[in-house]
Amino acid sequence: MAILPDAVANQIAAGEVVDRPASVVKELVENAIDAGARHVRVEIAEGGKTLIAVSDDGSGMGREDAILALDRHATSKIVVAADLVGVNTFGFRGEALPAIASVARFQLTTTDGEGDGTEVTVTGGRVERVAPVARQRGTTVTVRNLFFNTPARRKFLRSVSSETRAAWEVIGILALSHPDVGIEFVADESARLQVPADQPETDRLGQVWGRDVVASMIPLGHAVGSVRVEGMIQRPADARPTGRRTQLFVNGRPFRDPGLIRAAEAGYRSAIAPGDRPTLLLKLSVPPGDVDVNVHPAKLEVRFRERFQVERAIEEAVRLALGGLDASATLAPGGGSAGWASPRRPMAEASGDAAWLPFDQAAPAAPDAGISTRSFAAPLFQLRDTYIVFETPEGAVFVDQHSAHERVLYEQVMADFESGAVASQRLLLPITIELTDEELEAAERVGDSLRRIGFEFEPFGGRSVVLHAVPSPHPRFDATLCFRELVADLARGRFGGWANQLERFAATYACRAAVKAGMPLSEPEMRSLLVRLFATELPPHDVHGRSTIVTVPVDELERRFGRR
Amino acid sequence: MKFTITREKLHEGLGAVAASIPSKTTLPVLSNILVEATKDGLRLSGTDLDIAVSTIIPAQVDQEGATTLPARKLSEIVRELPSAAIRVTGSGEQRVQIECGRSKFKLLGLSRDEFPAFPAVKFDGAWRVQAKELQKLIAHVAFAASTEESRPILNGVLWELRPDRMRMVATNGHRLARMDVPVKGTGGQADLIVPPKALEQIRKLFGPDEEIEIARSDNHLGFRSAGTQIFTRLIEGPYPNCDQVIPRENDKIMTTDKAAFTAALRRMSIVASDQTHRIRLAFANGACKLSVTTPDLGEAQEEMTVAYEGDPLEIGFNAAYLIEILKYAPTDEVRMSFKGPERAMTCEPVGWDDPASYLTLVMPLRLLD
Ligand SMILES: Nc1ncnc2c1ncn2[C@@H]1O[C@H](COP(=O)(O)OP(=O)(O)OP(=O)(O)O)[C@@H](O)[C@H]1O
Ligand SMILES: [Mg+2]
Repeated sequence: MAILPDAVANQIAAGEVVDRPASVVKELVENAIDAGARHVRVEIAEGGKTLIAVSDDGSGMGREDAILALDRHATSKIVVAADLVGVNTFGFRGEALPAIASVARFQLTTTDGEGDGTEVTVTGGRVERVAPVARQRGTTVTVRNLFFNTPARRKFLRSVSSETRAAWEVIGILALSHPDVGIEFVADESARLQVPADQPETDRLGQVWGRDVVASMIPLGHAVGSVRVEGMIQRPADARPTGRRTQLFVNGRPFRDPGLIRAAEAGYRSAIAPGDRPTLLLKLSVPPGDVDVNVHPAKLEVRFRERFQVERAIEEAVRLALGGLDASATLAPGGGSAGWASPRRPMAEASGDAAWLPFDQAAPAAPDAGISTRSFAAPLFQLRDTYIVFETPEGAVFVDQHSAHERVLYEQVMADFESGAVASQRLLLPITIELTDEELEAAERVGDSLRRIGFEFEPFGGRSVVLHAVPSPHPRFDATLCFRELVADLARGRFGGWANQLERFAATYACRAAVKAGMPLSEPEMRSLLVRLFATELPPHDVHGRSTIVTVPVDELERRFGRR
Repeated sequence: MKFTITREKLHEGLGAVAASIPSKTTLPVLSNILVEATKDGLRLSGTDLDIAVSTIIPAQVDQEGATTLPARKLSEIVRELPSAAIRVTGSGEQRVQIECGRSKFKLLGLSRDEFPAFPAVKFDGAWRVQAKELQKLIAHVAFAASTEESRPILNGVLWELRPDRMRMVATNGHRLARMDVPVKGTGGQADLIVPPKALEQIRKLFGPDEEIEIARSDNHLGFRSAGTQIFTRLIEGPYPNCDQVIPRENDKIMTTDKAAFTAALRRMSIVASDQTHRIRLAFANGACKLSVTTPDLGEAQEEMTVAYEGDPLEIGFNAAYLIEILKYAPTDEVRMSFKGPERAMTCEPVGWDDPASYLTLVMPLRLLD
């Protein structure tokens, strides 16, 4: 038995740290960011198989450190085990450079700005040359012929385009994690990404994920205890079943966690079509001691001390963001509403900047009832007996009366279910309704829910039922039609994607009981509907994941009229 | 066509017909008023195809003729004219000249041939009714008809005409109003289901002391007095049998002052849900406790002294319905009777010096604790 020579040990470690060019790119860019770089330039050729070069203007290293950096477990980032707790650099193992150097033709050029720089050349882990060199403060690592000495690994490399794409992904994630750092990425001599330092986060996201995607997203920001959540999430109406992106960061470090993505999706409850998956970018901040980053060899996972609190913070953040007016659809180019870069407070809290809603400020608002108790003063107009239109300082707002009423009724029914306070109107003249076999069966299956919602009915021979009492959710309610449609929907399994039976029932009921499109509404009816809509938790979204509100910003009008 | 008429008479006539002119229509001629100068005076007619109203007003007709004119514009012009004689002259091609004092207008109309014919209702052998009796029925009952479309029959008011009495019943299934008036010699026996909109015109357009002739065709009903005719579509029956569902054995009786009870209900309503208006009434020992709890809003209570006989009772209602029936009650005091929290409440006037009998009914809202 013998201790493995360093070169062999490094090669084995390399198996864990670098399995493809993209992981080399990741380690090198992380090192550059850890070194405090303002600008990082990455160049690759042939997907990184022949060349990976990463240059930065960070702290650089003196001659001794440059040589030491290539030793296994040499790191400047932690000294004792206790430092691992709360480590806020990407690196902490001291493994990346020696591992990379052991499987490539490697060159490190660096200077800390005092005296000459140092150039270290390593081939397959063997230091060939250390020479002085002139350069500006910073570091350049050049990696050629990756895996030249491990043919087995080389064989597993994919096509140039897929290796390039993988490198791109890695750079994209790091670009998102540090909008303060400028990053340039060149592959086979063409620029793939060029983002300036100190870039506004949404601009950066637009460059990395595409402007269309970002235009469909809204900002969020919320804290529970010491957990703070920021980021951007997609409007439910723009989410699709496939092709979404998700990205989590904690204290600037990317990680994966399907459980937290689920927590975010829970925040979309009742506002998104079943099966639709929203694109999410969530940036968590927790006290450094509350997250353990050393639980996964490739640092892809982390462990939270207060996991439950983190989940709650995420779910609440999503819910609050979706409830804000910024979450409503807009006809602005690219879809972004003015000022969406800064998360706004949810509407229920936004007493100060509720200015967009011309509520009558004279009417004192009950402190906890939010704007729902205020009267709504803007002139209203009904378009095609379907949309309620009004003006705000920021533009024109269109509200779909059916969708809006659906949202109102859904939340009302869920609340009524909880309090048991359903208003059920007894009928003087019972209503007899003929059903199909399937409908009758569905009616019996959900009989309890139907009763809880206010329908009192009993079989009436054959396939008929007779209604003795009906809900009375609003003055225009058509109980017979609602019962018929509700039962037919239930029989056909509409809203079948909803996991919770009660929520599914409430959504179906809300859809059927709501005022329909094409129904003329009086001005007071429109006003009351809007006041009630804005008192709900998620005003901008109906229970199908569609928008209830579309805004046309003044900016956009002015653009169209050539005023700007 | 050529006639002269006072501004006041024309204004009055246009006002009578205005209500039958639809505000939105796909048939342009319906926005017009049919103007006919005849030897009996000036006849103005309008229709929305559901009801048709026609009234004759005195005018000095120099030359007979007819055309249709835009109702809105004509009314606006007449409203703004000084109080003086108005001279109207047809000048061919549906053009009409209107002169009054030193003002002169030319209005463009549509041919009278485009105007729909009125329903053919024959008035021979018509029933006869005093306008004020009919108007009393309408004023107390028509409000209770349904406005929602699922049961079209309830959108109408049932009018039972008998040789010696008349009855009207209307309900939307949640609340009901019924009135009986004894009359002498209507000369008829019929059950008619009439749209409330037509009844409203009858209430407004006939003078209380006029005698109205009433006749029907298969699906229309006509009303006429000396100067005015109203036609309406009839709703096809049969109307549900309400006598069967009006309770007789209600054994808990409350008597109270209408104004005081209404005031208390209105106060409670402020805190009631603006959609369901649900309030709770609790009766015991000469007191009625009103209360309301609305999640997310708040609560309110009030106790008032009432005359109450019977076992204690708690029952929920849509306050809007209670306030409404009280509004139509013809006396200062009302008697409400109950059976149980799931059963109908009936309300009758106390001390009404009128041969008519009047009853309203409200179905409760379920109370859950
Ligand atoms: N671009 C750079 N600029 C300045 N110093 C660097 C740079 N790259 C590496 N170093 C130094 O070299 C050390 C070793 O780097 P290496 O990536 O091998 O380990 P690490 O970053 O400390 O930990 P990990 O293995 O987790 O990445 C670092 O701790 C740092 O001091
Ligand atoms: Mg590193």
